Amino acid sequence: MAVPPTRTGIAQQRLHVLARAIAAIIGGYVVTALAVACLARLLPMRHAEASIAATLASFAIYAGIIVAIFWAKSMLRVCMGLGSALLLLGAALYLSILTGGRL
Amino acid sequence: MKESFRQSMAWLHTWTGLMFGWLLFAMFLTGTAAYFQQEISRWMRPELVANADPANATQAAIDYLQARQPDAESWFITPPSVRNPATEVFWQPKKVEGKPPTRRKRGETSATLDGGGHPVTVRETRGGFFLYRFHFDLHYMPVIWARYVVGVAAMFMLVAILSGIITHKKIFADFFMLRFGKGQRSWLDAHNVTAVFALPFYLMITYTGLVTLATQYMPWGVMANYASTETFFEELFPGRADVPRSGVAAPLVSVSPLMAIASRTWGGAGVGSIQVTNPGDSTATITLRRSATTAIGARGESIVFGGPSGKLLDRHAQEGGALATQSVMVGIHAGRFADWGLRWLYFLSGIGGTIMVGSGLVLWTVKRRAKLPDPMQPHFGFRLVERLNIAAIVGLPAGLATYFLANRLLPIAMADRAEWEINSLFLAWAGVLFWACVRPQRRAWVESLSCAAALFVAVPIVNALTVPRNMLTGLMTGDWLFVAFDMAMVALACALGWAARKAARAKPKTMHRNRPNRKELITA
Repeated sequence: MAVPPTRTGIAQQRLHVLARAIAAIIGGYVVTALAVACLARLLPMRHAEASIAATLASFAIYAGIIVAIFWAKSMLRVCMGLGSALLLLGAALYLSILTGGRL
Repeated sequence: MKESFRQSMAWLHTWTGLMFGWLLFAMFLTGTAAYFQQEISRWMRPELVANADPANATQAAIDYLQARQPDAESWFITPPSVRNPATEVFWQPKKVEGKPPTRRKRGETSATLDGGGHPVTVRETRGGFFLYRFHFDLHYMPVIWARYVVGVAAMFMLVAILSGIITHKKIFADFFMLRFGKGQRSWLDAHNVTAVFALPFYLMITYTGLVTLATQYMPWGVMANYASTETFFEELFPGRADVPRSGVAAPLVSVSPLMAIASRTWGGAGVGSIQVTNPGDSTATITLRRSATTAIGARGESIVFGGPSGKLLDRHAQEGGALATQSVMVGIHAGRFADWGLRWLYFLSGIGGTIMVGSGLVLWTVKRRAKLPDPMQPHFGFRLVERLNIAAIVGLPAGLATYFLANRLLPIAMADRAEWEINSLFLAWAGVLFWACVRPQRRAWVESLSCAAALFVAVPIVNALTVPRNMLTGLMTGDWLFVAFDMAMVALACALGWAARKAARAKPKTMHRNRPNRKELITA
């Protein structure tokens, strides 16, 4: 706010915003999907119950991730956060399905 | 992006709100109206007056279906209730081998019956049910896509609410602050007051709204455990699979004793709907579902009886915690359990939400007009938002009034009458959009608001001229529905008229406005 906006400044800002929005909407959704899938497999309930419980929580998780992505100090941190979450959750889900299978 | 957390949230709030604000306004308004969908439907079918005993009416409906649709796959019967005087029936016609099921028109597979099982001649209309469906299915587009669009909008709403709360630090103090006649500050106050007024309601309604279609939006929880979603639904709702007819004819037992048994099982709660599968066959079953008015959960309990034997076959399995939670979340969204007091509270909260979204949209332009390089000639994006605001905020109310008017004015025998009622809603809406585009924006506000107010005034008048039930007859005979409906129309007309007057008198503060101070920027 302190720096007067210039043409390149505005263009740069828009690019930043676009990057954040894509990270939040798409990256956030993928991480949420993985988190929900992991929860559904790991919650100690009947399968149907665990699936529903994880699904109910999904929108809170998604909203939290979106807010966090717009909050983050830099795009680098966003990418690191999303990347590690993807790897961790993806690996957990893969191992869980590999060893446990699905109904 | 280097601003403080609050500033980045203010930014997020502004733009998520704007992106889907117009659609959210329509969803809020039609969803709010849908809390009275049964009453709207009753008003739109003024021919219906009978109020019959549910058990007798159900038996009469079964006799009607037995005579006319003996070989249907299944029958569905909704007995009369306090909120709907008629018996509604629809049936799934027999499938023909090797032929895909053809799309049928509504009237061909459904009927409205009186307490004696005789079809009632009512004007063709989709009534309040259309407003309920538009709330999440929209119109003129495939339902599945509409639901994705609506879901994205709801998710934006959720983010807008969260970021709005974070942005707004003096949430309690500002609740008592509504400064009229102060331009931008007033719009901000209006936005804040309506937002804080029912904040828990907005959070609840947005979240539970997402939950109603959660398995479409977030299928991953189910997919993680089930290779096929059919296995999942079979586990949740066992015994739903189609049983083929045996071909051995067997008459159905009388349904009244079954309804009495069901009601006793549910501690006196009434039966909400009855489904008969394979009617007239030895494999027939009768499923009774509990009325939605007696419990918060949307997934009512059900009892299945053998059709020819009347023996209890199955009772709704005990639900687990997560399923019960989901059922309650959907239930508090739809509010079918609510009695009159709570129903009005739902309605008022919904109106509050509609105003919150609307004032937020207006605030976007009010805040920016002062800062435009040349306020007399705003850039394209600004003009677009301005015009779409008028079309969204005034267009739909004008459309609703037109929908009610069309119900009274379109010829009863008109082909596709129900669809034309809906078309007239959208024609009026399009009319306002057109007007908003061709007129100077301030005039467009005043004129379209006045026009919408006039349309709402016209509803009770046209009603009184076209059907024998109205406010006066209602007051004399205790027909409170018609009294309340007319009063609601007048109240809406007054609100829109007041807004038109306000818009006409408002002084545009474009040129000489001081730059807003930092605090306003942050809290806005």
